[in-house]
Amino acid sequence: MSKLRIAAVGDVHLGEDVRGRYREHLAGIEEKADVLLLAGDLTRHGTLEEGQVVADEFRDLPVPVVAVLGNHDHHSDRPAEIAALLRDAGIMVLHDDAVVLDIDGTRLGVVGGKGFGGGFAGKCASEFGEPEIKAFVNHTKRIADRWRRALKETEADVRVVLSHYSPVNDTLQGEPLEIYPFLGSYLLAEAADAEGADLIVHGHAHKGTEKGMTPGGIRVRNVALPVLGRAYAVYCHDGDGHC
Amino acid sequence: MEAPQYVAARVQQALAEDERTTELGIRVDVRGEQLFLRGEVTSEERRDLIAGVAEEAAPGLAVRNELTVADIREPGGEEKL
Repeated sequence: MSKLRIAAVGDVHLGEDVRGRYREHLAGIEEKADVLLLAGDLTRHGTLEEGQVVADEFRDLPVPVVAVLGNHDHHSDRPAEIAALLRDAGIMVLHDDAVVLDIDGTRLGVVGGKGFGGGFAGKCASEFGEPEIKAFVNHTKRIADRWRRALKETEADVRVVLSHYSPVNDTLQGEPLEIYPFLGSYLLAEAADAEGADLIVHGHAHKGTEKGMTPGGIRVRNVALPVLGRAYAVYCHDGDGHC
Repeated sequence: MEAPQYVAARVQQALAEDERTTELGIRVDVRGEQLFLRGEVTSEERRDLIAGVAEEAAPGLAVRNELTVADIREPGGEEKL
């Protein structure tokens, strides 16, 4: 299996006023990476106009682009239309499902979606009490179940989970503890640990930390742009630790 | 007189919910007659816009705009997993 170079970034929060500025940093990406993953919050408040800026910024790149949406991309209640704009620009958009890419003979499986919150083991919400709390927790449970199924069904040499919300609290360090339950859920990590994955990338936590891992030992990377401070991160994988 | 904590919370909520800003990560502190804004934004235009929305939400306070504009660096070396 040849090595795979996975570029990733999230939380680019594009709008008309910064049109073209991010694109400048994508020149030459094919020399650094084989694929680009976008970890949600691509817009500021999820309007179609902002969605079009995102589509234009990431269209026609020399490497395949796979994206998930984030909570900001849902704010105007147009997530399906934003996803359609991105797909029209050749960007693959995951919604709790998977895509398998053939990269020079290596099959890269990318599984994921927006994810959601609820908190982390021992300090999390449960399906108890008012219907609003039950609905909140149930939303995450259903997402985690769909990821588990998608991972089970995805045959690939390398499997990456792409999320907006965080699966672990390691990568939240720097954020106020009080908001952890709104930043992610351990149920997402549990699904990946149950079925196996080589890497999980997420965004959402702007003040968090880049590196963490799941209880099962899967590497987790918070690629929110304010955390990275650079246009994108590149993670190199070849199965035996040599790149 | 309204407690400064409530004023700061109102401004923070306005910055998150106002369609012009929708910024969730801005730190807002009120000290006496001054309102401090801290955090990172993506452009000069947004820096000014956020200060304007904060001023509307807390009229009478002097806004100290300490927001910085994030600089996107070029991608560095790869991490070997």
